[in-house]
Amino acid sequence: MATIRHYYSVATCFARLAIQRQLEYPLFLFSWLLMIPIQYFSGIWMLKIIVDRFQPLGGWDFPELAFIYGLGLLSHGIMVVLFINTWHIDGMVIDGAFDRLLLRPMNVFFQLIASYFNFIGLIDLIPGMVIFIYGCHLVGFDWTMMNIIKIILVIIGGVLIRASLFITLGTIAFWTKRNASMVGFALSMLERGTMYPLSIFPYMIQLLFTFLVPIGFITFYPSIEFLGKSGEFGMPTSIALWTPIIGILCFWLSQRIFKFGLRNYESAGS
Amino acid sequence: MAVIEVTELVKEYVIAKKERGLRGALKGLFFPDKRNVRGVDGISFSIERGEIVGYIGPNGAGKSTTIKMLTGILHPTSGTIRVCGVSPQADRKAVVRKLGVVFGQRTQLYWDLRLGESFELLKRIYQVDDKTYEDNMNVLTEVLRLDQFIDTPVRQLSLGQRMRGDLAAAMLHSPDVLFLDEPTIGLDAEAKHAIRSFIQEMNRTRGITVILTTHDLDDVEELCSRLIIVNHGKVVEDGPIGELIGKLTPKRLLVVDLQHPCADVGHKSAQIIKQDGLRIWYQFEKARVTAAELIADLSQKLPIQDLSVQEPDIEDAIREVYATT
Repeated sequence: MATIRHYYSVATCFARLAIQRQLEYPLFLFSWLLMIPIQYFSGIWMLKIIVDRFQPLGGWDFPELAFIYGLGLLSHGIMVVLFINTWHIDGMVIDGAFDRLLLRPMNVFFQLIASYFNFIGLIDLIPGMVIFIYGCHLVGFDWTMMNIIKIILVIIGGVLIRASLFITLGTIAFWTKRNASMVGFALSMLERGTMYPLSIFPYMIQLLFTFLVPIGFITFYPSIEFLGKSGEFGMPTSIALWTPIIGILCFWLSQRIFKFGLRNYESAGS
Repeated sequence: MAVIEVTELVKEYVIAKKERGLRGALKGLFFPDKRNVRGVDGISFSIERGEIVGYIGPNGAGKSTTIKMLTGILHPTSGTIRVCGVSPQADRKAVVRKLGVVFGQRTQLYWDLRLGESFELLKRIYQVDDKTYEDNMNVLTEVLRLDQFIDTPVRQLSLGQRMRGDLAAAMLHSPDVLFLDEPTIGLDAEAKHAIRSFIQEMNRTRGITVILTTHDLDDVEELCSRLIIVNHGKVVEDGPIGELIGKLTPKRLLVVDLQHPCADVGHKSAQIIKQDGLRIWYQFEKARVTAAELIADLSQKLPIQDLSVQEPDIEDAIREVYATT
């Protein structure tokens, strides 16, 4: 209990300082405020153009695509708010900031995450919300209590799956000291793997995104259940609740990998 | 009881040897020439409560690596470390709670925010209660004169002010042991003086143990009672500073500027190593002749305009003295 209070008090102080730091640069903030919604609304607009001009994507029409895209943006947005520091582990190793985390009497992963509460990322969530609710409206989503709980669990699971991927990639920076390109690669992989239905991809990619890097569980498999579509690999149709389970599993695994990395951490410079 | 005990500490690195040019880079990619290098090679020592120890050696001698192992950042390849009786690798959190660590070249302060905000965060991280925090802040503010700049963003502080801020940050939680890695690097004389008197004050009033790495001979002479000298990953000397300084720096330089040229400028106990116009460099051994004697002798026969005595660079001296080991 005392430990929880300790971590909570540090987390709130970190959050306050992060907000203060971001407010030091108002122009930067404003440019994000403008850019991010443009980026996502143009994304959904492109989808609409593609689907209107050609046939539906792998049997998914525009309302269903909007639903899956919005769902993906929501877990992406929350991940960016909470876990963005996992993208910068390599820089922290090189400039010694990571050494400093190890010199403080708290959990290293907690400090890594809590030390940068990215409230600019909340802006990412706005277009996500709008597109998702629009998608729900188009597909006639049934807002029962059960479905709402399921959606929340699916989003949490999606956040955990995304975070696990970046934690694992960040841990590689303990050895390579550089992994900015991998973060970029993972980001575009996640975007493509979550905004389109998995079934349009080649069979090998579907296997990969289901069993090895379970990106399919962030949006595709839960959407199958919510939208009543047919799945692959003989997956049961009541598959939405697998997302939080797989999320927790991935997160646990990424924590093991992170701990292993810490034991072999070599620091950098003098 | 020893605050720090280190036995047979070893840290090995894998170093890939790279050859020149693109061909070398490609060769290194497919057939890396890897070899194990011992950055720290069997170091043992123990440090008692209240000591101020200089941990000295040339670049690449293994100083930083040792400090990083003592503070739990790195895991040793072999050997044991006990800090206040606990292994930093077994229980990192318990050990680092008792440590204050300052890296002269890097700050732990928030660059964009006023200095005080960083202290506020550290208060929470180390769970310092209000009373202790206030007491510590009062002492630190007085000794380091923090009140002049506590509301200034860290990015606008001078190097000397920033270093004072970093020292205060390391002391807020009343640590038992203070690790200082080049705390005076790049500072002017006044700032150096402020840092040194702060370290002495903390040692005197709180009995804090200090381990200091530095390139600055004045730091060592003013602060340390004991030196541990490392070279090529090994301890080559460990003892009271009085004995070691003489051994390390047997020779000094006397630089003399004459008013006009003279014919006979020699001295029986000093060697002229360089002469440039009216300026002459004499090298002499401290054990054979004191600077005062030499100056007295020379000033009798030479029209001296100005003079200065120079200490040799500590790293050069270590390299020279321990070249064979």
